[in-house]
Amino acid sequence: MTGEEIIATVKAGLPDTIQDTALPQGDAVIFVAPDCLQKVAAFLKDDPSLKFDYLSDVSGVDYLIEEREPRFEAVYLLYSIDHSHSIRIRVGVEEENPSVPTVSELWKGALYPEQELFDMFGIHIEGHPRMERLIMPKDWVGHPLRKDYPLTTEPVAFSHNRDFKSELVKSKPPTR
Amino acid sequence: MSVTEQGLLERDKDTMTLNMGPQHPSTHGVFRVILEMDGEVVKTAEPEIGYLHTGIEKTSENKRYVHVIPMTDRLDYLNPPGNNLAFCLATEKLLGVEIPERAQALRVIMCELARIASHLVWLGTHALDIGAMTVFLYCWREREMVLDLNEEISGVRMMTSYIRIGGVAKDATRPWLDGIRDFIDYFPAKVDEYESLLTKNPIWMDRTQGIGVFSREEAINWSLSGPALRASGVNWDIRKSRPYSGYEKYGFEVPVYQGGDIYDRYRVRVEEMRQSREIINQAIQKLPTGDYKTPDNKVSLPPRETLHTSMEALIHHFKLVSEGVSVPKGETYVPIEGPRGEVGFYIVSDGTNVPYRVKLRAPSFMAIPGMCQMMTGCYIADVVGIIGSIDIVMGEVDR
Amino acid sequence: MGLIEDAAERVGDELNNLKLNVQDSIEAMDHEYAGSLYDTVLTTKLGKVVGWAQKNALWPATFGLACCAIEMMAMANSRWDAARFGAEVFRASPRQADLMIVSGRVSQKMAPILKQIYDQMPEPKWVMSMGACASCGGVFNNYSIVQGVDRVVPVDVYVPGCPPGPEALLYGLIKLQEKIMAEAGTDKAKKRVA
Repeated sequence: MTGEEIIATVKAGLPDTIQDTALPQGDAVIFVAPDCLQKVAAFLKDDPSLKFDYLSDVSGVDYLIEEREPRFEAVYLLYSIDHSHSIRIRVGVEEENPSVPTVSELWKGALYPEQELFDMFGIHIEGHPRMERLIMPKDWVGHPLRKDYPLTTEPVAFSHNRDFKSELVKSKPPTR
Repeated sequence: MSVTEQGLLERDKDTMTLNMGPQHPSTHGVFRVILEMDGEVVKTAEPEIGYLHTGIEKTSENKRYVHVIPMTDRLDYLNPPGNNLAFCLATEKLLGVEIPERAQALRVIMCELARIASHLVWLGTHALDIGAMTVFLYCWREREMVLDLNEEISGVRMMTSYIRIGGVAKDATRPWLDGIRDFIDYFPAKVDEYESLLTKNPIWMDRTQGIGVFSREEAINWSLSGPALRASGVNWDIRKSRPYSGYEKYGFEVPVYQGGDIYDRYRVRVEEMRQSREIINQAIQKLPTGDYKTPDNKVSLPPRETLHTSMEALIHHFKLVSEGVSVPKGETYVPIEGPRGEVGFYIVSDGTNVPYRVKLRAPSFMAIPGMCQMMTGCYIADVVGIIGSIDIVMGEVDR
Repeated sequence: MGLIEDAAERVGDELNNLKLNVQDSIEAMDHEYAGSLYDTVLTTKLGKVVGWAQKNALWPATFGLACCAIEMMAMANSRWDAARFGAEVFRASPRQADLMIVSGRVSQKMAPILKQIYDQMPEPKWVMSMGACASCGGVFNNYSIVQGVDRVVPVDVYVPGCPPGPEALLYGLIKLQEKIMAEAGTDKAKKRVA
């Protein structure tokens, strides 16, 4: 099925739950609110003409710099192995108490990317069996991929900031 | 209380906790798995990742598109051209630029050479883990030939950064093409040599058959991809279902086996090495003439000779080197078939010359929960075999 | 007048102190080098032999972290055979190794483990920092990568490259061997004890 046909089928099957649709470069994209996510996901998996049985990835985006409401977005990439078509679901997540329901009951492969979404963005996943840090150390503070988290707090050592560098040299363990 | 009393209290638990990694010769990188064991049988396997987290995704948000390409080299460090290609394809999809046929063929050759090199590393380390050290030395001997070809065309053995936005970095040279022809003449006998050592070897078959079995439904549900998925009976290869970079022009088979165990994953990858060699053979014979990068100078650098005579070429060159490519606003995802499975970049662009968000879909990352699910119920010695058969690379898991 | 006398007294005190210090040092030297010239010559020669033995049998611990680990494996293979330089086996257990080649980027989560493995190695031990990421953070200057492994463990040889080719790593190994020979028999080598 082409992108337009997929979107038409989805809109016919779920009349009120889709916020918006898009067709960037031929890919089918639907915009969904967080509380409708599980219903939409179940429909996409079970409907025989769509049959999206393979979850490829769950990504997170922080739209702080673009000043878009809602601030975060969780993007779900789905494939159908039998029909060989794909769809992207974009779920907008609010900045206050960001939270999305889990889809890991439908696709077990969502367990790790959803946990990473929590670790990197602070988006809480309701119903996920293990809501803890995955990639960062367990006692890390802050969510690194948010736009207000600094890339680094240490400047690059050049010759024009020699003072910083000499402080650094003093704090290293002595060579032998 | 005395030491023995305390020991008896601890014994109330039926299981023994064994920590494997992060520093361990068999974990293929810094991967930690905590095994709860009942004697020698693994009850649960809990993975812990993040020991190689490099913050590449966040660093990419501060670099221009062309500077992200060397970053992508270091994600899955056994398949640098594949990562480059996935990133460039996604950027080119947003830019809407056409890639000339010669550039597409060169990209295919580079990616298939990387697939062979990656599978050689996999075979060498997997066989070494299970105990066959000779195969390790043999595989690296062939890999050196592929790395020499990389060095010939791009100057670097591993992190080539050869595939750029709009095409490739440099045109194919005569020594490189001759070297590839020598390699593809020499290679099939070597694959037969590896197979003669392992495929019918009773020790190998005992250690790999029937172990780490995943059925078709489980493999799809746990989001496995690549050879692990194809060994479970799912005929899904991105090169066939969503062809990119001219793959539809080459005739090759996709090996699919039904067993879903370590042995079938081994057979899938060995057959893939042969098919990759076949693709390179066809690409070399049918190599089209033409440009090696797109003539659109807003995307790729103009030829150096024109800088002396054409004002527009000079301005384009200056803009591209100082500012870089400006990608229109939008978001896209392009998958490719890497040696480990589906590699893709989800890129969000805000219209500037710096990407807004770069997310790698890493096949090894998605395979880890499934891999640990496979480990339940098998012996501790099989854990090593399973990790080797899924072929994880921690660079792309932790990013 | 009083000033000159004070000054003379101070000078006299200083001279006395100096004499006492010199006497103390001579006594200390006598203690240390008891047996004198014969003994120092023998210790130095023995030290050189020990150094020669150590440098020709540097067994690395497997500490492959990232991309550099692949080039380290290539160094151990048949084309650039590291075994002919003495690095015969890569010991999995740090307790049996004497060279730790930190090959790859060290993240914040991995740094305590790196220190733990280093502490588990018995003396004498050497550390080779392989690659740009281990030497100075490499291409990654961000929140998650330790900017140089020498912030965690003392490093003896730095091998630059991204990744350094096996020939560069072998050159680093040879340089480390030269360092061991240069230090052999001297006080610096004597410091490498538990």
